[in-house]
Parts: sequence; structure tokens; C-alpha cells
Amino acid sequence: MTNFGDVTIGQELPPVEFPLSVYRLVVAAGGNRDFNSIHHNTAYAQATGAPEMYASTFILMGMWERLVRDYIGPAGTIRSIKDFRMRRFNLVGSVVKVRGRVRDARRDGAHGIVTLEVESLVDGQVTVGPGTVEVTLPHAGTVGTAG
Amino acid sequence: MSEDWKSEWQPLTEAVGRDFGDSTVVFGADTVEPGTIRRYLEPLEIGCPIHYDADAARAAGYPDIVAPYTATMVYSVPPMWRPGEPTLYESPDRDAQPARSPINNEDLPLAPKTTGFFATDISMEFLRPLTVGERVGRRGQRLISCTPKQTSMGRGAFLTWESELVTDRGEVVARVRTGTYAYNPAGPEEEQP
Repeated sequence: MTNFGDVTIGQELPPVEFPLSVYRLVVAAGGNRDFNSIHHNTAYAQATGAPEMYASTFILMGMWERLVRDYIGPAGTIRSIKDFRMRRFNLVGSVVKVRGRVRDARRDGAHGIVTLEVESLVDGQVTVGPGTVEVTLPHAGTVGTAG
Repeated sequence: MSEDWKSEWQPLTEAVGRDFGDSTVVFGADTVEPGTIRRYLEPLEIGCPIHYDADAARAAGYPDIVAPYTATMVYSVPPMWRPGEPTLYESPDRDAQPARSPINNEDLPLAPKTTGFFATDISMEFLRPLTVGERVGRRGQRLISCTPKQTSMGRGAFLTWESELVTDRGEVVARVRTGTYAYNPAGPEEEQP
């Protein structure tokens, strides 16, 4: 669990990688109910102009939550996700890497509010974002500044 | 190249600012429950105990197990089929599509018919996570922008919509702004380099 006092501006979150097999995309469709065939059917996806089946919005947003939840722990809350812009397809057969860093941190009464900058990449190219996720953390000290 | 196709989007462009929903809440298919939470988390491998263990959730200040924030919209998706409705599965063709889908944009008002559709961007504000036992639905569908554009995928329009996600007790738990691209896939003669 991260406490507000442990947060430093510029701090990088431990990145998370998501290998995208057909199997994983099908499990995701079953879990999030986005059964659009572009997310699990090569022929259908290609007929719509995409090079292959690709990850859905729901699983891509969930990847950001995984990164953030791993960082904030059970006591943290998520207040917003902004500028979650899908710039490129996240195709089956690729590995999506999600990374983030602390852009801002401030006190607000009983909470610490932290703004994280988050993005997804495939082969080093940004596929989603960069956007921001605003979270709250338990109050336990002061905000440091990296560097 | 002629730009006549853009005129088909003019009625929707002129409707920017209009709320195509009403005050009715269109509820999702399922009540929030531990099984569907677990299935949402499984492909993401999110292991935080507030999503699995009621005691851990209460220790974190929640009344019971909570759903992931990003699943809030998932729980607002209506069912594909209800008892008494006609079948969704009209064809045995390998790639046959369901007769209806709550995910696609088949009911897009004032717009030309399109066959391709995907989300481009989302911004969400969360007031709190959903708790086991709640239901959530979408209220409102305000059109914020409509921009016809030809892309490498085809001809269509980028659309931005705003909605609220509301529980069965009438509490707003999230506000959503969603960008989509509705289009007709480019044929070989139209394909862009």
C-alpha cells in the first residue's frame, strides 16, 4: 500500500505488461461483455479495416486500473480517468505495456490527492493516452519531490 | 474527391448539444455480484482484496465487496437478449453477427447507416465504486460533437457523447464522456494509402 507521505513527484509506478493472446481477449470479452467481433474474430476485424482483432476499450481501461490499483493498494480510491485516448490498435499477438508516473500531489483535508500520468505502449509506441488518473491516498506524512 | 458524403452527417451535426436520452435510466443487465466482479478481474489479474473479500472491503471503509471503478460502465450495459425477445442468432454462418447488440451503434439517431464502430476515447469521473447488490444504468446521451472525417478505416464521423451512471437508488456514481468513430469501412477503391 502506498501512503501519501511516500509519494514523490516524478515517481514511476512499477509497469505492468499484458501479453494479448486470443485466449486472453476471449476471457476478457466474457468478463466485460463487450462481444463486438472486432475483439475476437480476425476475419470480422479485417473486414472493418483493422489489421487484426484488437483489445476492447474495457480491457484497456482495466489495464490502467491494474497499474493504478497495484500502486495505491486497497485504501486508495480512483476519482477520475481523463484523456484515455486510443491512438493505435492494440492487436492480438502484441504485448501491451502500461506505465505511469506521479505528475502532481496535494493535500485536501483528510486525503492526499495524487495525479498520475498513464500511458499504454506496444513495441515502444504509445497506443493509449497519455492520460491522467486522479487518486486519493491515506494521509501519512508529507509529499517529497524526486530529484 | 467529392465531399457530398459529409452532407449525410449534417442533421446530426446540427443536433450537437441535444440529449438523445431522456431522464429515464437504462439499466444494465446484471446486479453487481462477486462472480461477475471476479470474471471482470480475471483477464486483468487484479488481485486487490477489496474486490474479493468482504472483510477486506469493510476494513477499507466499504460496506461490502466493491467492483473495480472501470467496471462501472460494464455494469450499465443492457442485456443482449431478454425472455420473450426474438432470437439473436439467425444464421449459422461462421462470422454471422447477432440480430441486436447493446454495444454497437445500431440506434444512432439522425445519422446515416454505418457498419463500423469503435470507441476512440473516454474520460470518467467517479464519485464512488459500485458495491455488491447494486444495479447501475445510464441516464442521458448528450451529443457534444460530431465531426465527419474520412480515415484509413473508411468514411464516417467522430462523435462525442456525455452520460451519467446512476444506481437503482438514484445515486449518480460516475459521469462519462465517450468518443466514438462510426463509419463505413473503405472499399478497395476508396482505401487510403
